[in-house]
Amino acid sequence: MSVNKDNVLIEVQGLQKAFGSNQVLDGITTDICQGEVVVVIGPSGSGKSTFLRSLNLLEVPTGGRILFEGTDITDPKVDINRHRQKIGMVFQQFNLFPHKTVKENIMLAPVTLKLMTKEEASRRADELLERVGLPEKADTYPDMLSGGQKQRIAIARALAMNPDVMLFDEPTSALDPEMVGEVLELMKELAQSGMTMVVVTHEMGFAREVGTRVLFIDDGKIQEENTPEEFFTNPKNQRLKDFLSKVL
Amino acid sequence: MILADIKQDFYLNFIKEDRYMWLVDGLKTTLIITLFAVIVGIVLGFLVAIIRSSHDKSGRFKILNAVCRVYLTVIRGTPTMIQLLIMNFVIFGSVSMNKIVVGGLAFGINSGAYVAEIVRSGIMSIDQGQTEAGRSLGLNFTQTMRLIIMPQAFKNVLPALVNEFIVLIKETSIIGYIGMMDLTKGAMLIQSRTYNAFWPLMAAAAIYLALVMFLTFVMNKLERRLRTNERK
Repeated sequence: MSVNKDNVLIEVQGLQKAFGSNQVLDGITTDICQGEVVVVIGPSGSGKSTFLRSLNLLEVPTGGRILFEGTDITDPKVDINRHRQKIGMVFQQFNLFPHKTVKENIMLAPVTLKLMTKEEASRRADELLERVGLPEKADTYPDMLSGGQKQRIAIARALAMNPDVMLFDEPTSALDPEMVGEVLELMKELAQSGMTMVVVTHEMGFAREVGTRVLFIDDGKIQEENTPEEFFTNPKNQRLKDFLSKVL
Repeated sequence: MILADIKQDFYLNFIKEDRYMWLVDGLKTTLIITLFAVIVGIVLGFLVAIIRSSHDKSGRFKILNAVCRVYLTVIRGTPTMIQLLIMNFVIFGSVSMNKIVVGGLAFGINSGAYVAEIVRSGIMSIDQGQTEAGRSLGLNFTQTMRLIIMPQAFKNVLPALVNEFIVLIKETSIIGYIGMMDLTKGAMLIQSRTYNAFWPLMAAAAIYLALVMFLTFVMNKLERRLRTNERK
């Protein structure tokens, strides 16, 4: 795997996170480069979601550093809000704003943060709705959408900020099976457009097909990382072998 | 015969010497004090609720949170009546102060404690994911609170808030104890002139009832409108 250090977007160095005496992340070190699609897998409770949520400081690490575009965002003096604008996030439970229409959901952040005028944001929202295939839902409220549609809107909302990287926290785990495909398809298109992505998922097909690198996290450590090809056909770590034998 | 008696009583209690004006003036006082108290209560209540729930969620505002807790404990642990008397005879005991301000402050500070807990429960009822979604987009704490959490929380607690204000309207009826003539005191003054308890008290009760029913009606309408705009 050729990692070009020049275009490293996120450097994770010895990341630790403990909830009380429970050490969830125990020294994670990895680089995420521009254009990479890093898929993170692991058993439940392994710390993979915590790892992802640490990348935009929704979880504040208790040790180690995270450098985003060269800035140590774990430094309390850093204005994390500015960096979060460049880190899009998609949640398992969508977390759309139920009191706003679909279009307002997408426009809210760029307009509030004065990155776009209302008109620009509106145009951008129309573009994004077109891109996620839901232009007719602009004036609908989230409660009226299916799970798959909600997640596509959530992706559009994150994209409205023109992020440099997108984090996905089990984006298809709360969906009915028939809706998983439409979300994965959109994520695949996003990856092909060159978006840097970090995806926590149980979708092994997606990891294999779209991922450029797969991380296996267990016990708060990266147990194995490799290209999808190697990762799935020739796993070395015993726990990974066990895990794969259960899920594949 | 009976009808004539009723007519006579009605005349005596309300028409003669324009006695109905005591009720009208009293009603005005009741409304002004309630309005004053509602405003104080909302401002205070929301402030305390935001401080308390931010503290619960993120550990900020330690000292302010402690102050808020003392406020809630003292206000909710003592009778409104005593608070009103303290406000009038202790805090404003040696200065001459408009009684409307005294009453409005006393009832407002009292109501604020209840509003605070209502609003706080509303804020806590909003899924943590909403905050996370807002913050992950780069919005700061205040923007997330104002644009995402509060509008949803407000909608959820509206019925409880209305209930609190209904209680407040009726509670102002003790303002007579600091020498103000509100609706209740007005009725009592008529009673002291006519030695008739039934008519003036019934009239006051009917006016309170009408006020509360009107408020309930308006709020039901508002609530329905807030809900339907989520279903298009």
